[in-house]
Amino acid sequence: MKTASRILGSAFFHQGYEVQDAPRYGAERRGAPIFAFVRADRAPINERGIIDKPDLIIVADDTLVPVPAAGVVAGADEHTVLLINSHTDVNEWQQRLNYPGPIVVFPAPEEVADRAEMPFIGALCAGAAAALCNVINRDSLQQAIEQELGHLGSDIVERNSQRALHAFDVMQREEANVVEGISADAAAWRAPEWIELPFDDARTAAPVIHAADNTDALKTGSWRTMRPVIDYERCNKCWWICSTFCPDGAIAVEEGSPVIDYDHCKGCLVCVAQCPPHAIEAVTEHQAAEKEKS
Amino acid sequence: MSENTIFKNLKNMPSTHLLGTGTPMCAGCGGLEALHEVYDILGEKTVFVNAAGCMTLLSVYPFTPFRGGWLYTAMASAPAGAQGVRDALDILKDKGAIDEDEDMQVVVLTGDGAAYGMGLSATSGAMERDLDFIYLCYDNEGYGNTGQQFSGATPHGAKTATSTGSRGYPGYKKPLFDIWAAHKPAYVATVIGAEPLDLARKIEKAKTMKGPRMIIALSPCPTGWVYDPKETAHIGQLAVKSGVWPLKEVIDGKVVHTKVPHKRVPVEEYLKLQGRYKHLFEPQRNEKLVAEIQARVDAYWEGVEE
Amino acid sequence: MTRLLMTGNAAAAWGARLAEVDYIPAFPITPQTEIIESLGAWIDKGEMPGRMVTLESEHSMITAAGSAAATGVRVFSATSSQGLLYAMEMLYTVSGWRAPFVLANVSRGLASPITLEPDHNDILAARDSGFLQIHCATCQEVLDSTLIAYRLAEDERVRLPVIVNLDGFYLSFTREPVTLPEQEKVRQFLPPFDAENMMFRASSPESQAVAVLGGGPYSYFRYETHLAAQNALTVYDEIAAEFKLLFGRHHGALECYRCDDAEYLFVMMGSFATKAKEAVDRLRDAGWSIGLVRPRLLRPLPHQALQKVLCKRRAVAVIDQNISMGMGGVLHSEITSVLYGKPDAPLLASFIGGLGGRDIPAEEFFQIAKVLRDAVEQGSAPPPRLLYTENELREVRKLQAIASVERAELRADGEMGEKGDE
Repeated sequence: MKTASRILGSAFFHQGYEVQDAPRYGAERRGAPIFAFVRADRAPINERGIIDKPDLIIVADDTLVPVPAAGVVAGADEHTVLLINSHTDVNEWQQRLNYPGPIVVFPAPEEVADRAEMPFIGALCAGAAAALCNVINRDSLQQAIEQELGHLGSDIVERNSQRALHAFDVMQREEANVVEGISADAAAWRAPEWIELPFDDARTAAPVIHAADNTDALKTGSWRTMRPVIDYERCNKCWWICSTFCPDGAIAVEEGSPVIDYDHCKGCLVCVAQCPPHAIEAVTEHQAAEKEKS
Repeated sequence: MSENTIFKNLKNMPSTHLLGTGTPMCAGCGGLEALHEVYDILGEKTVFVNAAGCMTLLSVYPFTPFRGGWLYTAMASAPAGAQGVRDALDILKDKGAIDEDEDMQVVVLTGDGAAYGMGLSATSGAMERDLDFIYLCYDNEGYGNTGQQFSGATPHGAKTATSTGSRGYPGYKKPLFDIWAAHKPAYVATVIGAEPLDLARKIEKAKTMKGPRMIIALSPCPTGWVYDPKETAHIGQLAVKSGVWPLKEVIDGKVVHTKVPHKRVPVEEYLKLQGRYKHLFEPQRNEKLVAEIQARVDAYWEGVEE
Repeated sequence: MTRLLMTGNAAAAWGARLAEVDYIPAFPITPQTEIIESLGAWIDKGEMPGRMVTLESEHSMITAAGSAAATGVRVFSATSSQGLLYAMEMLYTVSGWRAPFVLANVSRGLASPITLEPDHNDILAARDSGFLQIHCATCQEVLDSTLIAYRLAEDERVRLPVIVNLDGFYLSFTREPVTLPEQEKVRQFLPPFDAENMMFRASSPESQAVAVLGGGPYSYFRYETHLAAQNALTVYDEIAAEFKLLFGRHHGALECYRCDDAEYLFVMMGSFATKAKEAVDRLRDAGWSIGLVRPRLLRPLPHQALQKVLCKRRAVAVIDQNISMGMGGVLHSEITSVLYGKPDAPLLASFIGGLGGRDIPAEEFFQIAKVLRDAVEQGSAPPPRLLYTENELREVRKLQAIASVERAELRADGEMGEKGDE
């Protein structure tokens, strides 16, 4: 998403806009959901930091949209366009989400098991977003991609451009338009609800956790793009290999059989690589969801 | 193999895991693989004293994957934190303020950045004071938490964020094992998550001993070493089979190799899987550097076989 | 009750001994070393219980101190100058753990250039660390303040580490009569440390000092530490009152000497303030209406008490034994902020003196008083003044001459040598 934000930012910049783009890092490591943002204006931008009232939300991983903790649609109102890269169509998203603004779905490309394809998602999202903003032309997009990805070689630029421009062309046909947000109004605003912070003694006011083993509340399963699935007919119930090697301890052993905890499996697929009888298969999350439906 | 181990074979490995799921380590983290294996052997009565590094974020308020204790100190002084906790528990026991069964095993948890560099003085001090503690270094051969810049643990030739040239890191991995061993602590060992039985036996042994028990776990790092996360265990196994990571221990001043790779696979099989060594093979093969890395591994094992 | 001659360092050690500390992480540094040597000797001789461990640095020493306090024992430690700065990361860190213990700092000027003599830049560098600070002027105060500091640190309304500051040489190595409180009475004053539920035990999980994400929780924890430090003002007054009841000596957050009717005031911290006290007496003899205000507590700063005592005076001289490069005296800045906007604020003048142990003789105090009076007459505050004489500069010039002459001679020698080789 950092790449997407930089391509979009550069595209705006080539189009003559003042721009801010930045990724936002949290505690999570590679594989965890991340977000990035872009601001563009004809005038110099004084605003900084996270965008709290977005005009456009672009979602690369559609599994995150319904997760409240992911906060994907935070701050959205009726003017905010939600662009989702998804296999699910607009109608279904409208039914599933109580979303106030227009939703646009960019049909996700057929996922491939090769995770090397993943990086293209950034260019694709940037291309789609550029079209929706209505002020960026194809040349600026192309230029932005060359600038941001040029150091990776002409082959990478070419493959990314292809996807981005395709997305750009497809999205040109969308009716939903991104409109400029409204600045904060210094003539009428809602006062912040400031409080006098009460004194709490150190038992509660120190960064101390008295609970134990409670990280399971954090569903790191959302990081996964590929899912390991155990074929119990082929599993020879050695159990220790997948369970011990799983870095996250997300494979429990129940009655001698391994059971994957999909709430916490990050999809590293060490288990797939290590299982001696090859009884664990990697499927895309999309395939897994389709299978569950049928 | 120790006669007393309960880990006679793989079926003896713990089937339940103590370390909580849901931590923010990278998918396929070799350090986390080792840590959860270690924690299963050490048990709940453990207080981890953490040095700044990737694992700092195991516990982010209000969540913790631990069932016992955790104290985040700073990058340089986790062994001193262990000293304070160990001494305080001993004082409380001596005074009769707490019962013996309230005691805990004190374990320093540190990355290689702290262990090989900033924290080395504090580690040396703790050994010199014969501190009764376990020291666990997850060694991913660079400052991983900040994006894999080279550290004192980075191997020769590896590309890092601060050694991006065609020859990679010009220095050589610091011999931390030997530096520790020279202090003559109670126990020194190397382990790797990809060899869980060897790891379990060593941690089991360390657990029963007193004094400084020093463990380095080579921790394959998909993010920093640039490989597909599913290869974490495989790369770990290759590190052992190629002889790059000798599994060994020191007891009473004697180095014993616990798993000797008699038919070592060529080092390049280990190197080739990792993007940080890509420049050794592409656009053209750097025969000299590959041969140098192989020769250093061979020289090590010749010394062992003498 | 015993009255003995002892140094400030010995008084600090006696404070720790009487507080029946469990644990002393240590590291030697001049002029503090005598404190840990005394404690070490008592422990070795079996005269006091407790355990001392010498770490390999002050950074580690404060880490061990904080982690032992976080495990539930009473901890004492001591350092000075470069050592305090080497430990600086951990000062901020362990106060955030809310680990209560007492650290004696023997003030000494900071490098560069390196010196052994006292001023307050070391302790003031720790001003914003979350450690509370008590500044002492006599050896008796060092002992008493150490006991008071434990009560303050361990109070559940505070629960923060405390530094007891004493000046190098002027207190550390100087013997004065000190009344030694009886152990039983000290026990009455200072009950054993109760860590509440913040400690490591096998039966109760506890993750301490964990990371936080986001400015919301971070601001909360940081501001709570500030609120706890502010609570320490009221708590301190209670403790000081109780101390007086038991031991008969009162150590207020501010010491106000001959202030009641004074038109002029000196404001100073630390042991040099007793020199100011002497000057006040002499000036009073000469008909001046003058007094001394000495903040004992610097953190928390007794803001209201300072306003109360400083307002309605004609003029106040703040004498800083420290310097903030590019700004001036630190205490002067603090006092300025205390007085800002007060309609009856006095005229305020800034003096820097006593850097690196440079003496402040009585005449300079007298002259400061005169500068105050002249300024009042002229109706404007004088520019900041370094207490430094023509003679001192002359002496420095001599040193500089030697330094540069030698350099020139060496160069000349080198040239000759080269020629000689030809």
